[in-house]
Amino acid sequence: MSGETDSLELSERLNMIEAMIAEGRGRYESWGWMFVLWGVAYYVAFFWAAWTRFAYAWPITMIAAALLTMVGKWRRGNQPSTTMGRAIGATWCAMGISMFILLDALGFSGHLEDVRIFVAAAAAMIGTANAACSMMLKWKAEFACALVWWTATVIASFGSAHAAIGAFLVAIFLCQIVFGIYAMILEWRRRVRGVAHA
Amino acid sequence: MPELPELNPVVHGKLRLALLSLLSGVDEAEFTWLRAKTGATDGNLGAQLMKLEEAGYVSVEKKFVLRKPQTLYRMTEAGRAALTEYVTALKRLLGTAL
Repeated sequence: MSGETDSLELSERLNMIEAMIAEGRGRYESWGWMFVLWGVAYYVAFFWAAWTRFAYAWPITMIAAALLTMVGKWRRGNQPSTTMGRAIGATWCAMGISMFILLDALGFSGHLEDVRIFVAAAAAMIGTANAACSMMLKWKAEFACALVWWTATVIASFGSAHAAIGAFLVAIFLCQIVFGIYAMILEWRRRVRGVAHA
Repeated sequence: MPELPELNPVVHGKLRLALLSLLSGVDEAEFTWLRAKTGATDGNLGAQLMKLEEAGYVSVEKKFVLRKPQTLYRMTEAGRAALTEYVTALKRLLGTAL
């Protein structure tokens, strides 16, 4: 084997190592469907609560979305866990529990009459989770989502109730639906490229 | 260019190298996941994993989950060190070749 062939083979091995390490770490974008699911859940809960004034619309929808997330995770099968994966999962889980407790407590205690408080609190917490994950992953697109959520928080704090609702619905569309579909497209492209077989 | 035998022969095997690289990015991995990622046959994969286990580069845990057997593989500290040394040697060799 010539020296040129040797170096070519060694380069291929180095590339394979990088590809396999990346494969092992998994891809955050493979969870794009979850962003879409939660975006739809927010819309369902919001319009259900707005039209029927049903007090349990949000808790029921959020619990249903959480159950669907668990089913989806279970269906994904034997994905090995990584430190990064656990950190990201923990961030979203902690945010979800905090939001569930805070908004339910405010709602059932009667202190959530002003929709602007609801939007400001929810958007700030979702923005925090997005920002934390974007910093861990160094993913600018997700940080942009955090900025959108924080903008919604500011609009809800200073604007009218209608402005708060509008900002909330736009943030859901951009940061859950559009971002989720974008992540799914990235994942689909990665699958099309295929897995480097050893 | 330096001779290839400078590279650790246990790590140098293409499938074994892929397995160590995969395991370096996760806490632990099931046999079926490793098979899916490498596209290797059961026999070949089992044989290569056994070589890595014999070298002390991976550890194996067998258990039952919902009455189904599950084989989990983890990279050991020795395996991580061997892979790191291998990559360093590989880069050095490539640097010499260029």
